[in-house]
Amino acid sequence: MSANRWLVTGNYFTSFRKEQRIFSTHLDRTIFGVFLVCLFMWPLLIKLSNKNMFVIDGILIAIVAVLGLNLLTGFAGLISIGHAAFVGVGAYTVASIITVIGEDHLLLTHGWPLVILIAGIVGAVFGAFVGLPALRLRHLYLLMATLSFQIIFQWVISFSTFFNQGQTISVSRVFWLTGKIGRKQHYVFWYYVILVVIVLLGFGVRNLLRTRYGRSLVAVRDNDRAADAMGMHPGFTKVYAFALAGFIAGVAGALHAYLFRGVGFESFMLHDSIVYLAMAIVGGMGTLNGSFWGPVAIQFLELQVESLAEEAGHLFPSGMNLSTALRPLTFGLVIVLFLMFEPRGIANWWRIARSYVKLWPFRY
Amino acid sequence: MSYFFQLVVSGIVVGSIYALSGLGFVLIYKSSRVLNVAHGQIIAAGCFITYALNVWAGMPIYIAFLLSMIITFFLAMSVERIFLRRLIGEPIISVIMVTIGLMEIINGLIYLTPFGSENYSFPEFFPPTPISIGDVSISWTQLVGVIITFVLITGFSWFFKKSTVGISMRAVSDDQLASMSIGISVPRVFGLAWATAGLSAAAAGVIIGNITGLNFDTLHSFGIIVFPVVIMGGLDSILGAVVAGVMMGLIQQFASGYLDGSWGLNGTGEVLPYILLLIILLFKPHGLFGIHEIERV
Repeated sequence: MSANRWLVTGNYFTSFRKEQRIFSTHLDRTIFGVFLVCLFMWPLLIKLSNKNMFVIDGILIAIVAVLGLNLLTGFAGLISIGHAAFVGVGAYTVASIITVIGEDHLLLTHGWPLVILIAGIVGAVFGAFVGLPALRLRHLYLLMATLSFQIIFQWVISFSTFFNQGQTISVSRVFWLTGKIGRKQHYVFWYYVILVVIVLLGFGVRNLLRTRYGRSLVAVRDNDRAADAMGMHPGFTKVYAFALAGFIAGVAGALHAYLFRGVGFESFMLHDSIVYLAMAIVGGMGTLNGSFWGPVAIQFLELQVESLAEEAGHLFPSGMNLSTALRPLTFGLVIVLFLMFEPRGIANWWRIARSYVKLWPFRY
Repeated sequence: MSYFFQLVVSGIVVGSIYALSGLGFVLIYKSSRVLNVAHGQIIAAGCFITYALNVWAGMPIYIAFLLSMIITFFLAMSVERIFLRRLIGEPIISVIMVTIGLMEIINGLIYLTPFGSENYSFPEFFPPTPISIGDVSISWTQLVGVIITFVLITGFSWFFKKSTVGISMRAVSDDQLASMSIGISVPRVFGLAWATAGLSAAAAGVIIGNITGLNFDTLHSFGIIVFPVVIMGGLDSILGAVVAGVMMGLIQQFASGYLDGSWGLNGTGEVLPYILLLIILLFKPHGLFGIHEIERV
């Protein structure tokens, strides 16, 4: 490492430990710190309407969910089209706690961090169970297993009276140190909670990937026989990847339940699983910052499509709902175009932009 | 007892349609190892094209049926040419994701047409009175549908076993390098596999549309139910797809006939195939007729 760690360009790693650092230079760490402080400070300076804050919170929850999916599909290479069902498991854990002990129980209003953790653990259990075929099987067959989990989940929710047959189960308001969180602070409060969760999970995933447990995921993805020869059990590694993804998805689901103040069936359908996958692909599979780009990009796109559909709606016959047509169309196009022309996603653009800035004024 | 036989009859009707949809799916998988998630959408498209040609353009049903099969033939071929050709050699996850993207694109395109929001039904081609043997009855539409289905399945099996193109498809599925070296154009075979799958999907779509009416949700759900069917039959076996299709139809009909309503169960017919799918994946992942060479961990 050069003497001035503020101005280094290029790699000067002299030990493996140095290469494994999260922040390779002081500058990186400072920029990241400032960025985090900005994320925490801006709601104090700018007051957004509840509607806009709600959109931002939705994006953050999608980021949590996609973090899990990216760990599973990007790092461990296991494709899942049942991720919305895992998120749903988290949300319905909260719902079933509500049905059992009542909406206003102390655990739900004051002990909500514990509830979120429980939802994560339940999600992990379900994830591990669905991942069990991974002990024997690969790609296509796992896709089938996750698909069938998605459909069984939808069926269980929509037909059992315990879950109110998929109708909304309402979640009460929570308490914080300052007292009950009212309608006005609700979205800002959950913004902070989800942001803290994202920072924790982000660092967790980043750190995981530095340890042998995280690297074993990547090793099994790249070549499972070689990984086997090096002493990892490919099957168990995959089951464990499913459990991790299930945990993160469960946390996302619990947050979803608390933010929406209700658990309904329609947020966890097959289509939502596909949306999560689209987010992971557009963001960049197998990259950590891809999990942040993807949800932002897709949600932004969706908002644009909605407004476009609203504006252009009067040009079309009245019986047709333009936004139901345009949403899948743009989704599909985005997935296909990204896979065909930029399989590494927005994270790759970010990498290119970063290295451009870093090396400026030189080309390379 | 007549209730039982009625269930058997409707199970065979539904199952033969599953078999036909599974057939197209297996055709693609067998030659190019691509899992086509968008199969249900192609089925729906074939059905809607036939309806448009028949009712809106006023063609007789035979011509509309043939024409829609030809259209989907070229449609599926161009899908392969445009989207999947450049992904040959890419990781399997990308290929599956592209078909998921395709599914969404076709969904969007169909929602742009009137079929996306409204239900239509084909005009009655056959006498409306059902044929009854004892207490068991089957409508003419269903009977003719089943007959056409089995004729088509026989035709496809023959095509796959005996014709030059079919043999080259099987050769490609066996060993791409070897088949290239004896002068088979592998990309062309992939295109043809998609095209024949599109053709069979259109046929399946028309038959389903005649039996259930033209509802987009019903039609494209046949593309998802095809997964348990083909896994049960073994992913790369045509015979397996047919047998498993009929079995799955019977299982579904029995489940919804006997289980629904008792013990507070509902809609078991829709979920049982997937529970079976999970069990099969755990214990017999190569299915009933699949080749035992499976991607093991």
